[in-house]
Parts: sequence; C-alpha cells; structure tokens
Amino acid sequence: MRITCPYCGERALDEFTYRGDATVKRPDSLDENTAEAWVDYVYLRDNPAGPHKELWHHGAGCHAWLEVTRDTVTHEILDVAFARKGC
Amino acid sequence: MSSLKSMSALHGIVSPGRYGKQDGEPGVVASERRDIGLATIAARKGHEADLTAAVKAAYGAVLPSGPGSAVGPGVRFIGIGPGQWFAVSETLANEALADDLAERLKGLASVADHSSGRAIIRLEGPEVRAVLAKGLALDLDPRVFGDGAAATSTIGHMGALLWRDGEAYDIALFRSVGGSFWGWLRSAAAAFGLEVVTTS
Repeated sequence: MRITCPYCGERALDEFTYRGDATVKRPDSLDENTAEAWVDYVYLRDNPAGPHKELWHHGAGCHAWLEVTRDTVTHEILDVAFARKGC
Repeated sequence: MSSLKSMSALHGIVSPGRYGKQDGEPGVVASERRDIGLATIAARKGHEADLTAAVKAAYGAVLPSGPGSAVGPGVRFIGIGPGQWFAVSETLANEALADDLAERLKGLASVADHSSGRAIIRLEGPEVRAVLAKGLALDLDPRVFGDGAAATSTIGHMGALLWRDGEAYDIALFRSVGGSFWGWLRSAAAAFGLEVVTTS
C-alpha cells in the first residue's frame, strides 16, 4: 500500500503510522451530562465496510498529520489531505 | 553561555581511502561536509507570508512551498514539511547560521540550531543513484529529481534528508546514526568502488 502525501508525494506505507478514526470529535465540556459523549469519543467506533476517514502520521517524512480516506475492503486510498485545515 | 565545539560526526569511524572494488574509477566518491551551519526554521502561526518576505529580503531566496531548495547567497533553504525548512550554509558556519536567522526572522519563525547535530555526507560519482536505490524507495531519475530537489525519507531504515546540489547528493542524518549509515554505505557501494575523501 502506498499513500500519496500532499507534501512529499507518493511514499511507501512504512513511512506512516496509523492513528485511527478521523471523524470522532472531542467533547468541548467536562460536565457530567457529557459522559455519554465522552464514552462515544473514547471507546465507540463505527466499523464500516467501505470508505473510512482516518488519521495517519507521516513520521518518516514531513511529520504532517494526514486525513486519509481508505476503502477498508480493498485498501484503495481514495483521498489524502492535511488534517490541519488551511495548510 | 559556554560555546560547544564543532566535532565531525564521523571522526574515528570513517578513514579516507578506497573501499570495495579496487580497480578502475570509483563509482561513488563520499565526503563529509564539516563545520557548516545547519538550522531548522518553523513559521509562526499566521506569519507564513511575512516570513517568506523577510527571508527574500535578508537572504535573497524564496522559501519553497514543497520539498525542494531555494538558494540565496551563502544559504540554502530546503522544505522539510508544511511551514518548516532546513537551512544549510558554509559561509555562516556552525551556530552562526542559527544566530543570524533568529535575529533576522525574529517574531516570524522559531529557529533551532542543528549544526553538529547532523552528519552531512556528500555523494558524487556515476553510480550514486544505483547505490542509493539499495536503501531508498524514491525515484532519483534526473527527470523527476533535478538540481535542488529534496526529500525526507529513510535510507536503510535510517531517517534522512536528501537534496541534490548540482550533480552531488547531500544526505543529512542524525549524527548518532552516522556510524550505522557508514556501515550501510560501505556495503552498498562495495560493488562499484567507494572513494572516501575528507574535504568538502
């Protein structure tokens, strides 16, 4: 599997580290009534068969965090963008 | 503040001479670039455009937006990541480069001195690309990796920054892996003949 880094270009998989689901959002509040949202953020993940947005770190290259859209069935990389917007 | 002494990363590890195939012209000529100024530059948030203008005014180079070099009088700027550059200079030797950058780019970028922190190895000769192909998964064909091109990747599983300066390839490694890299280079280049010269 190869990932086309928006900064470095096409690179081998061993330059990258997988972080996880890119769609989960950290709750803003620590209030008790947000406990359910925290459980969701920390533990619960969808397990889609198909396109999945995920975070990868280009640790052996430009050190940027990337948002990769990967098909979990075929491993096809559908899109790669910087996780930090406005780069 | 006490000042640190500049020391070769390969002192006591690499001796000048011919390695591997002994007959004919060497396929690769290696040298260590010593006493050069090395520094990283990271743009402060929201100051990217000001930083580019300040570097242009102070050093006569336009910071590259991707992996590549911009060369001004005395200083080469290499893109190593979004908003980050690696600066290399022979005229501003050792920590003089980081001092100069920090002064001229004050408030626009964070500057860190890397001189003596990296081993800079220069490879030249007709077989350099064939040798690097044994440990680097990048296309170095001149049509895609021309003069000034740069890449951060791994060579023999060791993190490396590589750039092309004319016909020469310069490789920056953390000095702690200098010895390991030498072991790799010596084996990889043996079939072509490796000549080690000390001067840059």
